Amino acid sequence: MSVLILDIVTTAAILFTVATGLMIILGVMKLINFAHGAFLTIGGYAAYIATVAGWSPWAAIPFAAVVGLVLGLVVEYVIVRPLYARPLDAILATWGLGIIIGQLITIGFGREVQFVEPPISGAVEFLGLSYSTYRLLLVLVAVVIGAGLTGLLYFTRFGLNARAVIMNEDLARGLGIDSTKVRLATFGLGAALASVAGALITPLVSVDPNLGLPWLVNSFMLVLASGVSIPGLMIVSLLLGGAQVVVSTYVSPIIGGLTIVVLAALILRLRPQGIG
Amino acid sequence: MSGEAMTESKAAAGGAKPRAELGRVLRWGALAVALLIVAPFVLDTYTVNILIRALFLAALALTVDILWGYTGVLTFGQSAFFGIGAYACGLVFTHYGFGPGWAVLALAAGILAAMAVGLLVGWLAFYHGASPLYASIVTLALPIVLTQVVFAGGRFTGSSSGLSGFPTYYWDLEVWFWIAGAFLILVTCLAVLFVRSDMGRVLVAIRENEMRCAYLGIPVSRIKILLMVVMGGIGAVSGFGYAAFTNVVAPELTGFLLGTELLIWVALGGRGTIIGPVIGTIAIDVTSSYLSGSLPFVWKLLIGIAFVLVIVALPQGLLPELGKGLRRLLRRQPAAKPAPELRPARSRVVAAGAAAPLVVEGVARHFGSLRVLQDISFKVGRGELLSLVGPNGAGKTTLIRCLADGMERSGGRVVIFGKDLGRWPPDRCVALGIGRKFQAASIYETLTVAECLRLARYRLEPFSLWQASPILELPEAALRIVSETGLAERLDIEVRHLSHGQKQALDLAMVLALEPTIVLLDEPTAGLTKTERERIGGILTSLVERERLSVLLVEHDLDFVRQISSRVIVMHQGRIVLDGSVAEVVDSELVREIYAGSGHEPAPAGGTA
Repeated sequence: MSVLILDIVTTAAILFTVATGLMIILGVMKLINFAHGAFLTIGGYAAYIATVAGWSPWAAIPFAAVVGLVLGLVVEYVIVRPLYARPLDAILATWGLGIIIGQLITIGFGREVQFVEPPISGAVEFLGLSYSTYRLLLVLVAVVIGAGLTGLLYFTRFGLNARAVIMNEDLARGLGIDSTKVRLATFGLGAALASVAGALITPLVSVDPNLGLPWLVNSFMLVLASGVSIPGLMIVSLLLGGAQVVVSTYVSPIIGGLTIVVLAALILRLRPQGIG
Repeated sequence: MSGEAMTESKAAAGGAKPRAELGRVLRWGALAVALLIVAPFVLDTYTVNILIRALFLAALALTVDILWGYTGVLTFGQSAFFGIGAYACGLVFTHYGFGPGWAVLALAAGILAAMAVGLLVGWLAFYHGASPLYASIVTLALPIVLTQVVFAGGRFTGSSSGLSGFPTYYWDLEVWFWIAGAFLILVTCLAVLFVRSDMGRVLVAIRENEMRCAYLGIPVSRIKILLMVVMGGIGAVSGFGYAAFTNVVAPELTGFLLGTELLIWVALGGRGTIIGPVIGTIAIDVTSSYLSGSLPFVWKLLIGIAFVLVIVALPQGLLPELGKGLRRLLRRQPAAKPAPELRPARSRVVAAGAAAPLVVEGVARHFGSLRVLQDISFKVGRGELLSLVGPNGAGKTTLIRCLADGMERSGGRVVIFGKDLGRWPPDRCVALGIGRKFQAASIYETLTVAECLRLARYRLEPFSLWQASPILELPEAALRIVSETGLAERLDIEVRHLSHGQKQALDLAMVLALEPTIVLLDEPTAGLTKTERERIGGILTSLVERERLSVLLVEHDLDFVRQISSRVIVMHQGRIVLDGSVAEVVDSELVREIYAGSGHEPAPAGGTA
């Protein structure tokens, strides 16, 4: 039972960490970034490069952040900017971008699965159980990311501008807020978060060019069901991630893989604005 | 829909235009058939082999195009229906039996299953008020769920390796090629006729402005669900053919990745055209097969780059751009759409019951704790032209909204000719006799004037699925607006080329073409010149006098209100503060105070013109 609870909490933390990058972009820019999965993959390969170069596995995380940020800024400028008025087309263009990134990675690194050095391995005694240290650490990471994003939104100049753009972009522009800059920064931040999340999950998943795809779909569903808010995403990650763990454990892992998608679609049918 | 109108428009269809369209499609179809017959004798076996698969996939891509390119439903899940058809073939032939009877049974089972799934998806995705994104969410979930179902099927479905080596018809390659080609040509020709028919214009209207369609009495949700069901069935047939030919079914056939590939083919070929996606699918699929040996990753990379470029820079796709270039080269103008002939519609006898046209009882609307409307009660009789006046924020537009959409109000009752409006969506409210004109002209920029007007007739006339009617019947009031504002000469012009005044006039004509008994007009004269305003005023007063319609008008221009109204209601801060004759209201002290605020100059009762 305690193992189940720990599984639920750590799974929720991982889902939350992986989905935040998608959420921040949707929240501020009203844009669904289907290249989110590709940015996760980029983070995974950043960790792989760190391993190959013989760096400390901890260095993989800032490295992934920088790579994600730079790529995110370029992508926003080149691809996303012309599509603000066409939200459905933005989904498709970012999906196409994901294909491009996936193929470039395949050409560069090959299709095979890569090995990445984890920052911590082994288990610790926790609540009288032996549990993966790394998974427990990810709970801490999720809390730090959640708190950091909340702090960014509520206690910084960027956060104030971003919240103004979220509420009413035209009015924000009228008040002299450079919404183009806010959008650029947001996309860079979202891509960096995705890339960091990709590096963080590498000890748990195999690194290959399609690393991000299953996470993209689940993140997309979670973010929409959360009503695009940080506490909402925490709750939804716990509820649907928990359901996934329970179904996978007691019914079948195959059906477990569907839980998030199906439950999120049903939640959105009953509450189109999400639970937030 | 009246039977008489049906026979009449059929008789009229003896004219040249729709037949010409049919003839054109038949000519191109015959050419395609000729190509189809010859091709296997000219091409090598390998090419024919991959072409057969591409032909089946092209038919599937067409269903994506109808849903996404024409109707605006971004679907990731068309592969699911393809997979259902394919698995119907694989499962029946593997586990139950093989032979002509079994083949027909398997095909029928596949189509039925796909249509049932389409119905479920449509019911989930297309409820009134659903966001366009929600359909994408459901269609994204569908192939993922189906793939997992296949995985969970164990030996029955072959799990991740699928089913292969089941008995099938090992006909010559040419025969399969002809079957696949004939199927694609049939689907393509039917699709061309469909999208160019009156019904096809409805799809484009839904894509351009779904909400307005609902206010024209078009049952948008039902149309989308039906479309999903039929496209699912067609997808299942192509999947069945694909599986029977390749003799392999695998989870990939039903997966999300194939669903996204279909979108790429349609986007590159040209969404919202029929031939573009067909050629796009065949060209990309055949090239992929040739390059998959030598340059698999680079080829997929190029497709990805092309896809992003097209979405960002050429959203209409490559083929339409090529066509435009070719026309420029040949200096040919694109063929204008023929304008239909205008005719007066037979006037429908409105049941002259004793019930009042419109009774509003205690209607309220709040957003959280904000009360926008409170305790609104009034009646409108036949032949009344009631003006709603009041300063901005008084709740006038909110009231209009509550009368035209049963979901809008928070409390109270709206009764129309004795029938309770209940919680009915706008298209049902139109059926009760309500016609609503929005404040800003809200029409379809890419449709022609005639097409827009015809949309308003959806509820009253049969809409053909395969031809564009050469006749446009309009009630007298709509005809009058169309002829007096010069729209009658511009029937074949796309709406985006019209002036602001003409757009407003067209919008009003569309509302009147609904043959409403209660007309709700939200500032119909905003931004119009004095002449235009007077013309509209004249038409409104004659509607009220001659046809005894009830008109509810929101208006700021008190001059105009004074000229045409029979009664005036003054609203202030969400309540009715005055309800009386024009003389009582316009000159009252209260109105001046509300409009100007106390201590200011008197209201512009006579000075705004």
